[in-house]
Amino acid sequence: MSPIERIDTGDDIIVCEDVKKWFGEFQALRGVSLRIRRGEVLVIIGPSGSGKSTFIRTINRLEEHQAGRIVVDGIELSHDVRNISAIRSEIGMVFQQFNLFPHLTVTQNLTLAPIWVRRWPQPKAEAKAMELLERVGIPEQAHKYPGQLSGGQQQRVAIARALAMEPRIMLFDEPTSALDPEMIKEVLDVMQELAHTGITMVVVTHEMGFARQVADRICFFDFGLLVEEGTPEHFFTQPSHERTKLFLSQILHQ
Amino acid sequence: MNLAHTGRLPDPSGGSERPGPVPGGQAPAMERPPPGETGARAWLRYNLFSSGFNAGLTVVLVLVFGWVAAIVVSWAVFEANWGVILKNWRVILWGLYPRQEIWRPTASLLLVFLLTVLTWLVGRRPGMRRLRTPILVGWVLSPLVIGLLLRGFELPTLRTIGNNLGYYLFRPDLLSTVNALWRGPTALFLVAAVASTTRVVDDRPSVRRLAVAPVILIGLLNLPSVVRVTEAVPTALAVLLAAVAGWLVGRSIGRLLSWTEHGRHIVNWLWLLALVTCVFVLTSFPVGRPEFDPVQILTSVQPSLWSGILLTLILATVTAVLSFPLGVLLALGRASRLPVIRASCVALIEVVRGVPLITILFMAQVMLPMFLPMNLSIDRVLRAIAGMTIFTAAYLAEVVRGGLQAVPREQVEAARALGLSELLVTFLVVLPQALRLVIPAIMGQLVSMFKDTTLVAIIGLLELLGILSSITKQREFLGTVREVYLLAAAFYFVVCYAMSVASRRAEVRLGVGTR
Repeated sequence: MSPIERIDTGDDIIVCEDVKKWFGEFQALRGVSLRIRRGEVLVIIGPSGSGKSTFIRTINRLEEHQAGRIVVDGIELSHDVRNISAIRSEIGMVFQQFNLFPHLTVTQNLTLAPIWVRRWPQPKAEAKAMELLERVGIPEQAHKYPGQLSGGQQQRVAIARALAMEPRIMLFDEPTSALDPEMIKEVLDVMQELAHTGITMVVVTHEMGFARQVADRICFFDFGLLVEEGTPEHFFTQPSHERTKLFLSQILHQ
Repeated sequence: MNLAHTGRLPDPSGGSERPGPVPGGQAPAMERPPPGETGARAWLRYNLFSSGFNAGLTVVLVLVFGWVAAIVVSWAVFEANWGVILKNWRVILWGLYPRQEIWRPTASLLLVFLLTVLTWLVGRRPGMRRLRTPILVGWVLSPLVIGLLLRGFELPTLRTIGNNLGYYLFRPDLLSTVNALWRGPTALFLVAAVASTTRVVDDRPSVRRLAVAPVILIGLLNLPSVVRVTEAVPTALAVLLAAVAGWLVGRSIGRLLSWTEHGRHIVNWLWLLALVTCVFVLTSFPVGRPEFDPVQILTSVQPSLWSGILLTLILATVTAVLSFPLGVLLALGRASRLPVIRASCVALIEVVRGVPLITILFMAQVMLPMFLPMNLSIDRVLRAIAGMTIFTAAYLAEVVRGGLQAVPREQVEAARALGLSELLVTFLVVLPQALRLVIPAIMGQLVSMFKDTTLVAIIGLLELLGILSSITKQREFLGTVREVYLLAAAFYFVVCYAMSVASRRAEVRLGVGTR
């Protein structure tokens, strides 16, 4: 069995070149090229149906891209199952609907992957789980089931679950969109704290304030294309593209 | 400036608790409901006498039930001849099982009872979770243990095992009649030599370990001849000598080979040569014809004597324990992406579901022997269990499939995103949720399977119903059909009701934390 082939991508942890994706006849991604640096916080915004969720789901192969190439931490996403599982254990993902496992307690949710994938002994995995729950501020919920928690608490557990595998990259797919308004801040606070730790983050969100405060770079997607990218400063004050201006005027005057 | 929450209210509680009543806000005190709106009188008024029609219906139904109950009770007290059950309870319980061996079915039933109680306790006490694996193993092994207990078994002696192994592997009758004691040690010598060469030439730990395996294997194959031959000690010495000599020779060959660069390559060829030679040398291994002198542990009780409640419970328990995993596998196969597996599972499920159980039971009696080797015959009870298992499994598979489809796709995605392999996704995330969803339906299938055990009477097995109807033909109890069938009804009702209560309890308990 040959070892997994590693490609040197320098300072970039994620490299996407001309990524294309179709759902049947519909083209969801029309050639996206993007390089994400180590430790960068990248926020992706855009109208619904613009392909931003599809794009981040191709990074850990929840969606398969049909053209172009994606290299994550020097490993190319191919049909090789070993590559896919190596990449998936490097990437944590947080979903809009939390997707906690309802039949397991909070602690079991957090220790499942470390025990079965990383082969950690149970005490080690549980210690790590407790540490993470303290970090996201809900250690007292450790033995409850997800159904007994509020939406904000569930999403914080989901973040902790993703972090339990000690990933180098975190993907957030609209993490606050399914939350009641009063619970959004507690999740954003955790994400902001996480951004300061130097982990690479790719965040799809509609929270413009978060984008402005935390992002190193903002990408604007529309019609399956990366339309514009730049620093938050550039993005909110002098967007160059017409579509971006229109989108920003719509979203900021709600 | 804080643009972060455009159009959103700030969170006053700091965001760590569930939203509740505003602290400090005093809720106004509740009033009591008006008199006559609670208590027994209100219940009667709302539920039994809410209108003139309902009141009439209530009275009529009470009268009808009272009349039926009066008839049944007066029959049961004054007319019925309960002697038929009191005198025959042993036969009803254990059927024709030999009297002096009754402890064996008793022990089997106790085993099942113990497992059930333990399973129930584990669900209630979190402290007993550690026992989950042993209990599961117990359930898996239970059909085998019960079968051995009831049927009786015998153990072959070690000598018989070695003898038969040698015979079937090397077929001495096909080869020379020469007493060929040299063959085993020679083979051992060859293999030991190549193995030790390998260990000199190759420094990879896995290869070094692997090289020893053939030596051990051939060494073990020498055992029968050592045990069998009259001069055991010299033979053993010869074997030992061969091994040591081979090892030493091998080491010097290894040193020689280390002078060339192709050592490993040559060793590979040496292995091939040695193994081929071994086959030739060994194929006339001198061991005797097979003989069988088993030691009887429990006397044999033919399954044709298993009957009564004992047989009913055996059929039900063994079928349940076997059909559940089979049903889950069939359901997973039906959901598989591999077309061949999927098609064969669908075919099996649909064919079995399209055929009545009685037909399957008959076919199991008639057709199962067709697929088995000539000398292996399985008895009628086993054939009945096989038929019922496949029938129940097909229905369970459809139930479980429903559960699998009800688990949201996002659960699979979340598990995959954590790096779990497809197998782990299925067994750790999807299956537990799917099974939890279909507990009532699974239990329903098992209840109907339990009642279907009565059908085996048709293929000539005397389960509870069969035994009972034969009791009514005893001369002193002629015409006691009512008593006997009332007993049967009570028995089936009690067991089935217990099963459905257990299922409801399990559902409530596992329902903790459902979304």
